[in-house]
Amino acid sequence: MVERPPIIYLNNAATTWPKPPEVLEAVRQSLALPVFGSGRTTGSQGEDSITLAREALSALLVADPPEHVVFTQNATDSLNLLLQGFLAKEAGCHVLTTELDHNSVLRPLHELERQGRIRLTVLPFEKGSVRPDSVEAAITPDTRLMVTAHGSNVLGSVQEIAGIGESLHDHGIFFIVDGAQTAGHIPVDLRELPADAYVFTGHKGLFGIPGTGGFYLRDPESVAPVRYGGTGTDSFSLFHPREMPERFESGTHNYPGLAALAAGANYIASVGVKAVSEKAERQTAFLIGALKSEPNITVYNESPSLPIVSFNIHGMENDDVGFILARVYGIVARTGLHCAPLVHRAIDGGQGCVRLSLSWFTTDEECRTAAGAVKEIAKNANSSFGSP
Amino acid sequence: MKEFLLDVPVSEGFFSYLGNFGQVEALPNLGDGFYKFEKPDWFSIKGFAGDTTVEVRFRKEVMDLTVDFLYLLFSSYREEAMDLSVLKQREQAVGKRVREHLYGS
Repeated sequence: MVERPPIIYLNNAATTWPKPPEVLEAVRQSLALPVFGSGRTTGSQGEDSITLAREALSALLVADPPEHVVFTQNATDSLNLLLQGFLAKEAGCHVLTTELDHNSVLRPLHELERQGRIRLTVLPFEKGSVRPDSVEAAITPDTRLMVTAHGSNVLGSVQEIAGIGESLHDHGIFFIVDGAQTAGHIPVDLRELPADAYVFTGHKGLFGIPGTGGFYLRDPESVAPVRYGGTGTDSFSLFHPREMPERFESGTHNYPGLAALAAGANYIASVGVKAVSEKAERQTAFLIGALKSEPNITVYNESPSLPIVSFNIHGMENDDVGFILARVYGIVARTGLHCAPLVHRAIDGGQGCVRLSLSWFTTDEECRTAAGAVKEIAKNANSSFGSP
Repeated sequence: MKEFLLDVPVSEGFFSYLGNFGQVEALPNLGDGFYKFEKPDWFSIKGFAGDTTVEVRFRKEVMDLTVDFLYLLFSSYREEAMDLSVLKQREQAVGKRVREHLYGS
């Protein structure tokens, strides 16, 4: 059997790896002791990891008060809860989203449109962002909601949320920002960002483990709860509590997952999000510069704000490039549509591309190896793709 | 997509043999040689010479018709000169059923 090279992991926009040692230790500790959750046990020998996680996220995202940080399974789960909960109060309204968005936004909205529960407009983008004046122009008297990505998972661009939010708030439109790609990667200050709700996931830039995520909701009354059950509080009442965060959380939490999320958020805070962002910007610029020097490679994002490089090699299917990167060089990338079909329709005719995505733990040496590998494949594709 | 683990490494000769049943593309200078076999409407096979695993992608709608032929391709291959007539007959029979299933003719 052919010996496999060591892994160079460049699929961090999907799930970050490796995790900081503190995260692994938090999971171990969480599972080494019985669960301690207020109202759910008489034990008191463990930490209240849920509250610690809420406080860690609140501090990292500058999201006050911490009780308005709600935990879910992931960003998709958060988006579904927010959409269903908001539209429970605003049935039949007009909703805006964008071609930049992930299927976690597009699919719930298209399903709601098919059910006749909303009217949907999908806005095109230019240079990685939807223009605020395009948003303004799309607003109609019955527009009540806009949902869009803070950062694109294909282009690595960060949208002009401030300008978009300003237009929306002038018209009293509720604004959900999907921060799956930005939380932990760039500084986020929810005191400043004009979002009514900001969605995050645990397993990407926040260095948590899969199965964790959540959202920050500025005004809890703006969204109706759509899940009900045990909370460990006010148990005599047969109705679900309306206080935060119980309003949106029911059932036993993912204790090891949230312990990991707290450790991940604290790790990023200790490094500094600005340092994370600056290192990523430098390494991403290097990769893009290297790939652009090879005429056989098309790079789709020339100056991203997030550590994402998307490209194709002329004459090769992206899936084949990913296969070769993995088998010959040990480079784990992601190929295809990245759950963002409308971005690909706009940039590459819907064929998809290869995406390399970095994290704080990506080394300069790994970037050099990746650039060399992609260029080597491109050079060979140029000369010899044909019959054996 | 399915990954097949073989008891012996695949060779360049194996992919040349597959060329009798579809289109083969190669990047011989990458690793020990990257090869891709495409049999439209049936399946594709990609892998590296010298490796014991190959990746196979089936056309889902007719996978139950074509999978046996894939096994036949693997098990029939010999390094020395081969008589392909039995495989060709089988390919023709399966191809008829695939066309009927996909296109009704």
